[in-house]
Amino acid sequence: MTSRSLELAEPTQGKQGNIGLATTARAPERKPTAAPMVLRGLTKRWRKDLPLVLDDLSLTLEPGTITWVGGRNGVGKTTMLRVAAGLIDPDSGRAEVWGVSAHAHRVRYQQLVSFLPAGDRGLYARLTVRRQLEFWARICLVPRKTFRSTVDHAIDTFDLRELADRRVDRLSMGQRQRLRIAMTFLPCPEVVLLDEPMTSLDTESGVLLQAAVAEVLSREGAILWCSPSGEHLDLEFDAKWQIEQGRLIAA
Amino acid sequence: MSAPIESIYAFFAVLRRDLHVYLSYRTRMVSQLLTTVFSITLFYYVSKLVHISGFKTHNSYFGFVVVGIALIGVIYSCFSLPELFRQELVAGTFDRLLLSPFGAVRSIIAMTLFPLINAFFVASLTLALACLLYGLHLHWSTVPLSVPAVGLALLAFMPFGLLFAALTVVVKQGSIGATWVIALLTIIGGLYFPVALLPHWVQTASKLQPFTPATNVLRHLLVDSPVPGGSVASSLLRMAGFAAVLLPVSLFVLSRSIRFSQRRGTIIEY
Repeated sequence: MTSRSLELAEPTQGKQGNIGLATTARAPERKPTAAPMVLRGLTKRWRKDLPLVLDDLSLTLEPGTITWVGGRNGVGKTTMLRVAAGLIDPDSGRAEVWGVSAHAHRVRYQQLVSFLPAGDRGLYARLTVRRQLEFWARICLVPRKTFRSTVDHAIDTFDLRELADRRVDRLSMGQRQRLRIAMTFLPCPEVVLLDEPMTSLDTESGVLLQAAVAEVLSREGAILWCSPSGEHLDLEFDAKWQIEQGRLIAA
Repeated sequence: MSAPIESIYAFFAVLRRDLHVYLSYRTRMVSQLLTTVFSITLFYYVSKLVHISGFKTHNSYFGFVVVGIALIGVIYSCFSLPELFRQELVAGTFDRLLLSPFGAVRSIIAMTLFPLINAFFVASLTLALACLLYGLHLHWSTVPLSVPAVGLALLAFMPFGLLFAALTVVVKQGSIGATWVIALLTIIGGLYFPVALLPHWVQTASKLQPFTPATNVLRHLLVDSPVPGGSVASSLLRMAGFAAVLLPVSLFVLSRSIRFSQRRGTIIEY
């Protein structure tokens, strides 16, 4: 593990116009001073009578790095990821990807970030694996020219060829998780947020996930991996953090 | 290729997804067919039993009520959106739609397509079976005009589904209210019997929604019923007015309800 990749966020001068990501392009025009992802001063409280889940939490993911965030159940890992993904708003603070915020440029932001939620939800039980991936590629606005190759790449990368015509409700939990991960990586995101991705995965599937992670890192993207414990295959994290009382502390 | 084209593909992807899910339940189509046959059979014999003032023959009431039955399916399809949306919330698929570049609002609008097309198909089937089995006389010269009229009616009805979907986003329930509204509309919209038979204040209430003019126009175009209290043009104008006002309002409310739930963090609840 190295600490080169992680430092508390410095304010960036991110103007969305400088990013210049065409809605169908794969790689954004990166602003030199911007990082793949910056979480700046995130604060979130579910109810007034409850303690803060996130307390001025800041984190910067540098290009080509993988960061692990751990902590006990209910400590705020998933909340942090949901805010980073743009699913829920923080009470204060903001999340940016290459200087783009979710609320200023929602479509761009969602093209840059991909989120794998924990659990086994988010699949259409009555669709086949291939139709699920095709649907997801369309919803991700994958360009028509690369649509077929993108879906095939996802099928091959996650070894889903034999399962392609099988309905989701007839898959095992591990196979479903593999499909969920394939959907997460399908649109070639710049930043991937993984919430307990190893759930139900066998060793072989874990290796496939590891390869997909390496692919994102090789194109100078970033991975944020959250799980309660730090045992994950042979992955070498560039930084490891724990959430305690809503703040990040070095693990 | 520009993003708008990909957005159109995404719209059709939602439609195709819903078609695949529908076809994966193999008995659903048979069930729809049988329900249609039972409904028109029931009202064919009811029309023979009862005499309703304003209808010269039992066949004229049968034509009146068959168009009403066909429209009920269309109304149901508009109000099915909150339930479909709730299923997405429970399955966790709405999170994915919300976090996709296509986005939540466009996805919800796209989700209305398949139920509406299906309802249009079932309505056509209802009329066809009524013709074949019970000799319903359609006014063929104006039947083609009913297609654009149905399109306008759908635009006028759709906001109700979108508003109930917005309600579901916030309170996680919407289908119960939708069921009550459908029951109310079948009465004040004059789907089973003429509005003229209802108390005066109910007749006034029936003017405050687009279902009554839609029913009147379609009855006129399909079975040549007179349009009560006005012309076809005025009924079409009323429908267009409802669509022009309610569609932007419902889309705004839906969009705000999603943002509201994201700010509160309740968008993840179901």
